[in-house]
Amino acid sequence: MLRAIRLIFLNEFRLLAKDRVGLAMLLLAPVVIIAVAGFSLGNIYGARPSAHAYYLPVIDQDHGQVAQAIVKALKREPAVNLAVVPSLAEARTIVGSRNRAPLAILIPAGTTAALKAGGTARIVLYVDPIKRLEVAAIELRLSRMCAEITARAQDDARARMAAAGAELQSRLARIAAQAAAAQHAGEQYRKESLLRRDAAEHELEVQLGRAIANLETQTRAAAERAAAATKTELENALAPRRAAMTAVRDYLLALQSSERGFDRWLADLKTAAGSHSGDIPPPPAFPPPPTPAQLAELSKPLVIAITAPALPPHEIPKLSIEKMAVPPLAIPDFSAEIKSLSPAAAPNFPGALDWTERSVGGGPAQVNAFDQYVPGFGVTFLLIGMLMGFSLGLIDERDWGTLARLRVSGAPLSGTLIGKLLSRFVIGLAQMVLLFAIGWWMFGISLGPEPLMLLVPSAAIAFAAAAFGLIIACIARSHDSVMPFGAVVSMAMSAIGGCWWPIDFEPAWMRELALWLPTTWTMQSFNDLMIRGLPASAIVRPTIMTVGLGFAYLIAGIAAASWIYD
Amino acid sequence: MKTLEATGLRKSYGDRVALDGVSLSVDRGEIVGLLGPNGAGKTTTLSILATLLEPDSGSVRVAGLSPQNDREALRRKLGYVPQAIALYPTLSALQNLELFARIHGAGKRQAATASAHALEAVGLAPRAHDSVSILSGGMKRRLNLACAMVHQPEILLLDEPTVGVDPQSRERILATVKSAAEAGAAIVYSTHYMEEIERICGRALLIDYGRVVAQGTVAELITLGGRHPRMEIAFQDRPATGWSAEIGGVSEVPHARSDGKIDLELASLTQVSEILERIRAAGGRVIEFNVHSPNLSDAFIALTGHALREDAPGGR
Repeated sequence: MLRAIRLIFLNEFRLLAKDRVGLAMLLLAPVVIIAVAGFSLGNIYGARPSAHAYYLPVIDQDHGQVAQAIVKALKREPAVNLAVVPSLAEARTIVGSRNRAPLAILIPAGTTAALKAGGTARIVLYVDPIKRLEVAAIELRLSRMCAEITARAQDDARARMAAAGAELQSRLARIAAQAAAAQHAGEQYRKESLLRRDAAEHELEVQLGRAIANLETQTRAAAERAAAATKTELENALAPRRAAMTAVRDYLLALQSSERGFDRWLADLKTAAGSHSGDIPPPPAFPPPPTPAQLAELSKPLVIAITAPALPPHEIPKLSIEKMAVPPLAIPDFSAEIKSLSPAAAPNFPGALDWTERSVGGGPAQVNAFDQYVPGFGVTFLLIGMLMGFSLGLIDERDWGTLARLRVSGAPLSGTLIGKLLSRFVIGLAQMVLLFAIGWWMFGISLGPEPLMLLVPSAAIAFAAAAFGLIIACIARSHDSVMPFGAVVSMAMSAIGGCWWPIDFEPAWMRELALWLPTTWTMQSFNDLMIRGLPASAIVRPTIMTVGLGFAYLIAGIAAASWIYD
Repeated sequence: MKTLEATGLRKSYGDRVALDGVSLSVDRGEIVGLLGPNGAGKTTTLSILATLLEPDSGSVRVAGLSPQNDREALRRKLGYVPQAIALYPTLSALQNLELFARIHGAGKRQAATASAHALEAVGLAPRAHDSVSILSGGMKRRLNLACAMVHQPEILLLDEPTVGVDPQSRERILATVKSAAEAGAAIVYSTHYMEEIERICGRALLIDYGRVVAQGTVAELITLGGRHPRMEIAFQDRPATGWSAEIGGVSEVPHARSDGKIDLELASLTQVSEILERIRAAGGRVIEFNVHSPNLSDAFIALTGHALREDAPGGR
C-alpha cells in the first residue's frame, strides 16, 4: 500500500514534468492574470499612470487673469502637455481622436470678472466618459489648481482687506472722539431743556386759571337768563290747560251729585214696585269718583323751579405763551467720515474657481458601469465559449476520431473547420444579442443612438473569437491544455482589450499591445455607440480592425490546423 | 485492374521507419488481412490507404483513382473504420449514421433509409435512438463499423474493429464484414487476432517492423509455420536443463516469450504424454499446456522470431 502510494506520488511529478503546458500553466496562468490586473488596476491605487504626458486642449474665451493663471498652472504640470486651441470643435476632435487626451478645458468669457466680483467662476471640462481614470487624474490636478488660484486670489484680497481694516480703524477712532463730543453737547442740551420746560409749564397754568374763571362767570349769567325765559313761556302754555281742568273738575262734581240722586231714585223705585221690587235688575255700578283732593289738584297752578346750569364756555380764550429760546446743539459733522466708509471703497473678497463636467460626445458625462461590463464580460465569455465550443470540440473530434472519419467521408478539413466556425459565429452572435437584451432589461444599459448598430461589433467579435478558438486549438493541442491555456489567453485578451475596465486604466505600453487584439477594437466600438453616443460612422475603423484581426487569426489557424490536424 | 492497389509504401517519423516498402492489392469481394503485432505498421498502412497520411514514397490507386489527383472522388469510394470509436457520443446511433451518410453525399431520405439498413445489419435497430454514450463497448464498435458502411463503399478499410468487444459483438462484426465482401466490397482487415484472419480472410499479409514478412492465402501462410503439431507449456517449476534432449523429433521453438511459457514442435501428437513424463522426471511442474495444429501465429513466430501479441519495439 505504502509502496503504491509512493510510486503514484512520484509518478504524478513525472507526468507533470512531461506536461509542459500544464507545468507552465501552474505558474504562468496566475502570473499573467496577476500582471495584467496589477498593471491595469495599478492606477486605481495611486500608481503613476505613465511617463507620457496627457494631451490637454484648452479654449480660452476669458482672456483674463484667471485664464492666464490656469494656463500658467497647467503648463507647470509635468504630466500635462497643454495646447491652447481656438475653438471647442477643435478641442472635441482632439479628445475624440487622441489616446491620451481625456478632456478639454473651456474657460468661459467672464470667468475673471465673476471671480473678482466675488461670485463662483466655473470652467467647463469636456470629458470623454470612457477615459474615466485619466479624467479623474486631470480633475484631481484641476481641483488642486482651482484651489490654489482661489487661495492666491483670496490671500491678495485678505492683504488688501487688512490694509483697509487698519485705515478703517483710525477713521473709527476719529468718529469715536466726535461721538463723545456729541454726547456731551447732548447732555447740556437736555439740562437746559428741562429748565425751560418748567418755566413754560408755570406760565401755562396761570393763563389757564384766568381763562377758566372768566368762562364760569359768563356761563352762570347766561343760564339764569335762559331759566327765566323758560318759566314765562311755560306759564303761558299751561294757562288754557288749567281752565280745561277746572271744567272737568266741575263736571265730575256734578256727576257725583247725579249719582247720589240716582241712588235715591232707585230706592224710591223699589219702594214703589213693592213686591215686584225683586224683579228690578240692579243698575250698573258707577266708577268710584276721584277724591276731592285729587280733583283739587287738577286746577292747581303749575309752579316750576328752574336751576341755571353751569355751561362750558363756548370759546376758549387764546393762550399766549412766550416762545422758548432753543439752545444750539453742538454735533460734530460725521458725513465726511461716513462717506469714506461707503461699501464702494471696500475691497471685494474673491469667489471660488470651480469646474463642471460635460461629455465630449454630447452624451451623459457619468457612465452606467454596466455599459462597460455587459459588452466587456460578454466578449470575455464569448471567447471562453469559443474555447469550450470550438477549441475543445475540435480536439475532442480529433481524439474521438470523428475528424479523421469526416475527412475520409469526403469532408475536407478546411470545410469541416469553416462549418464549425460558422456555427460558432452564429452562436456567438446570438450570445451577444442575448446579453445585450438582458443588460438592457436588468441593468438599464444604454444601447446608444442606433441600437441595431451593436450587431456590427458583435458580429465582428463573434467572427474573430471563432478564429481565435481555432488558433487555441492549434496551440494547446490536448483537451487538458485548452482550458488553462485558452482561459488565460482569453482573460488576458479581455483584460488588456478593455473588457473588464476602461482601457485608459492601463499603462501606455499595454495600450500599444492592445492594438493587436480584437477585443480592444470591439470594446472601442461598443464604447463609442453605448457610452459616447457616437453615430455608426464612428465604428467603421474599429470594426475593420476587428474583422481584419479575425481574418489573420483564421488564415493562421487554418494553416496551422492543416498541418496539425490534416 | 485491382480495386485497391498499393505499391512500395514507405513512411518514416523522424529516424523511425514505420513502413518500409509495403505493397498490397485487393479485389472486389475479397478480404485481405493485415496481421501483425502492435506497432507493426498496420494503422499507418490503413491511414495511407484511407488518404489520411501521405506516404514518403510509393503509390496508392483505388478503383483507378490516385489520392494525389482524385482525392475527393477516391474518398467517396472508401469506408474507413478507425481503431478509435469515431462517433459523436452525445448523438444517437441513428443521428451518427445519418450524419456520415449525408456527408458522403446521400440525400435526407436516402440517408435515413441507408442508416436504418446499416443499423439492421449490425443488430442495433432497437437502439437507434439511444445516445452513443449509453451504448456498451461492443455496440459502439458495431456502430463504428456501420458508420463506415452506411454509404455502401467499394472499399472498406477496417483498423482492428473488434478490439475490446464481447464475443457476441465480435461475431456480429465478422458476419457483417463477410456480408459486405459478399456484396462486392474490397476489404482490408487489420488485426492482431490471427483467428479473425483465419476465419474471414482469403489472403493475408504478415507485417512486422513496417515490412511485409509474408503474404498469400491463409493456408499458404500457415504452412510457413511448419507442418508439425505445436505444444505450448506453462510451468510452475521449470524442469532441469536438457530435459527434452532424449525425446526424438521434439524441439523447442526458439523465440523469447515474456510469459515464461515454451513452445515445442512435436513430431507426433503421441509424444505429449512422454513429454509431460519427462518434465516431471526433470523436477518440473506443469500448470497448463495446449496442443494445436500449426497456425498463422506459428507462421509469424517462425518468420519473425517473436509472437503476434508482443509489441513491435518502436512501432506506431
